[in-house]
Amino acid sequence: MSKRYGSVQALDRVSLSFAPGEVHAVLGENGAGKSTLVSVMAGFVVPDTGSVEVDGVPIPLGRPFDCKRLGIEMIHQHFTLVPTFSVRENLALAAMKPPVLRYDEGQLAAPALERARQLGWDVSPEARVEDMPVGAQQRVEILKALAADAPILLFDEPTAVLSPAEIEDLVRVIRALRDEGRIVILIAHKLSEVFKAADRISVLRRGKLVATAALAETNPTQVAEWMVGDLPIPAARVEESARGEGLSVQDLRVEGDRGEEAVRGVDLEVGRGEIVGIGGVDGNGQVELAEALAQVRHSLAGTLEWQGAPLGDLRIGYIPQDRQADGLALEMSVEENMLIAGQRKAELLTGPFLRKAAIRSWAEALIARFAIKVDRASDPVRGLSGGNQQKVVVSRTLEALPDLLIAVNPTRGLDLKAASFVHDQIRSAREGGAAVALFSTDLDELAELADRTLFMSRGELAEGGDAVAVVGGAA
Amino acid sequence: MRAAVAQGALVVFGLVAVLVGTLLAFGLPVGPSLELIGQGAFGDKFGIARTAVKATPLLLTGLGIVVAWRARMYNIGGEGQFLAGALTGATIAKFALGVAPAALANVAILAGSVVGGALWATLAGWLSVRRGVDVVISTILLNFIAIEGLSWAVSGPLQEKKRQLPLTEALPDAAMLQRFDPQTDLHSGVFIAVVLAIAVYVFLFRTRVGFRLRVVGENERVARVNGMDADRIRLGAMALSGALCGLAGGVEYVGIAGQLSAKFSQNWGFLAIPVALLGALHPLAVIGSAAYFGALFAGSENLARFTPAGSTLVYVIQAVAVLAYVALRSWKARPPAGESE
Repeated sequence: MSKRYGSVQALDRVSLSFAPGEVHAVLGENGAGKSTLVSVMAGFVVPDTGSVEVDGVPIPLGRPFDCKRLGIEMIHQHFTLVPTFSVRENLALAAMKPPVLRYDEGQLAAPALERARQLGWDVSPEARVEDMPVGAQQRVEILKALAADAPILLFDEPTAVLSPAEIEDLVRVIRALRDEGRIVILIAHKLSEVFKAADRISVLRRGKLVATAALAETNPTQVAEWMVGDLPIPAARVEESARGEGLSVQDLRVEGDRGEEAVRGVDLEVGRGEIVGIGGVDGNGQVELAEALAQVRHSLAGTLEWQGAPLGDLRIGYIPQDRQADGLALEMSVEENMLIAGQRKAELLTGPFLRKAAIRSWAEALIARFAIKVDRASDPVRGLSGGNQQKVVVSRTLEALPDLLIAVNPTRGLDLKAASFVHDQIRSAREGGAAVALFSTDLDELAELADRTLFMSRGELAEGGDAVAVVGGAA
Repeated sequence: MRAAVAQGALVVFGLVAVLVGTLLAFGLPVGPSLELIGQGAFGDKFGIARTAVKATPLLLTGLGIVVAWRARMYNIGGEGQFLAGALTGATIAKFALGVAPAALANVAILAGSVVGGALWATLAGWLSVRRGVDVVISTILLNFIAIEGLSWAVSGPLQEKKRQLPLTEALPDAAMLQRFDPQTDLHSGVFIAVVLAIAVYVFLFRTRVGFRLRVVGENERVARVNGMDADRIRLGAMALSGALCGLAGGVEYVGIAGQLSAKFSQNWGFLAIPVALLGALHPLAVIGSAAYFGALFAGSENLARFTPAGSTLVYVIQAVAVLAYVALRSWKARPPAGESE
């Protein structure tokens, strides 16, 4: 099949077949066409050419509800749950079939809850979905698909939001589903997870099928090569520049959004020319700590000092975890989004007025330097891919040459090339003498970047020793 | 450029289509009705002056709405701020006239209307920023207070000297805005409004403070994360919004009415919202949408002389135009089928 979106060839004559009793992973970088592929199979997207057949019978293209009835279930990356409904209500809603005049919630939700029991999942039917942690929400999303006993399951990036322990459990469930003789299709871009879960791997690159291989016949290096075309060269660790006294935090306490004490007495030193990694499972107070360090969130108690003095007008760069919520004004243009950080630069202003031409060329220079894929600086940032949106945030933050850089999961959702680019930029900030606090749930990232790593758990920081030990501790 | 012209043509076509559709729905003969409306709005110098005079308060209050809404402060209180501005102006008139020269009084009245409107809106802004009171609610309620306040004032402290009618003392001609032609109502407030539209455009799109205001409106968290004082910016946006709406009241007072009654405002502050929306919250486009509705007011007055539907028609058309616009926007903003990634 082929599919074109504007100037982007999302799928270019891709042919694939999937066998029952097999976990077939489809890999590729952002924009490689993975999501388009599954969206076609689930009936959400009509391809320009090509067809999808189940046992030799073509499926109705572009008709998701009919595809569902044929036993094709998609587990969406962005959950399709009603947040204010209970688990039972969500499951009943998904199981409803026309005619919908008869509505017996308990009866409708029963099969899904029964599946939960079989899988060993402790799901409370009365819990409201919006009150549940994200991992539990995903279980509900999966249960919706399983209730129908569908022979074909499409998982779209299921691990993106999960902790390592939750990923382990998901892999177990995916294996169990495979052993029941289903076709399991797994969309992913993280190699380590794919090698845990898949039996067969297909790689897409820029819409083209690059290779298909059984897992046993290949290895991560080869797959990575297929994905990016050439392996990113890991930047050599540069000589440690003269370190100096930087940020010093004592007994910091910070309140979370729900009034709980999210950070409970943290002591932290981040020197100039040093990257301090802060790892841990999501939701242990990292975001609150990062926001307090970035002076965005009020702290309840404790002291923050820079070289023994209050922070004052220290240049702080903050790369937030959620670029869409905290990083970007989506309806504004790329250059305006860059200007959000650059609006204090004297060369972009004449008195209170903005210098349009100077801003344009400044933004275009940033776009070129950070290799951001956009036609014009005046294009809205909404139209950019996730990776390029992240580059907009990273570029404007690092361009300001911050003394203190706080980055939270700066490469989440980025493809390998973009991620290694962002890593290089963070390193060069360190070489420039910045003190860097890197919050990441990705242990590989911490191992690669951080000079030393601390571990955050229930609002407290603990020495993590070297990164390998941290990996061992999490597994 | 060409695309902009094409889009402009499309908008004009759409507005005319809305007009024709409404006429049809009312069962009015389209051709003659359009002729009457066109005659009333543009037919002669009287028509053009009427259109401009009706568009002026719409433009000023519309600009006020634009400024507030751009900062995501959904100010519904244009009416209250309009009246607060006019009341402040009338209060100043009561004390200044006879003491100060009339020309100076004129300036003082306008300045007072700016301050009065700004304070009325700032009250809602302050409640929102410091106390978390929804601006929509507070501005609506402040409208009621201003409306009742006006009724009380014109039959109480600000009533004319003879104390017969619920009106304020009429201003002497010297204290009114300049008129250009003794036969029409065209006054210099029209040009004040257009100049301010350009000024608001420059402010929003060409200054740093305006840029910050738009960032706060687009994404408050981003603004805060980048060290912008979102509360102060919002408060400022409300003050500026109220200042523009208040000035509209002042201009209407010293430009047209010359005295206040309980019926002083013809819902200008409410109509500002559709005007601003139809102008896509863009100050320069609001000139166009204010002119469109101004022309409709002027034209439908003419139509009303021949059909009883005429006077209400303009409100129906306004509502239809805004609904059509909102529908079009949400249709355009719908997620494309099968979004990738």
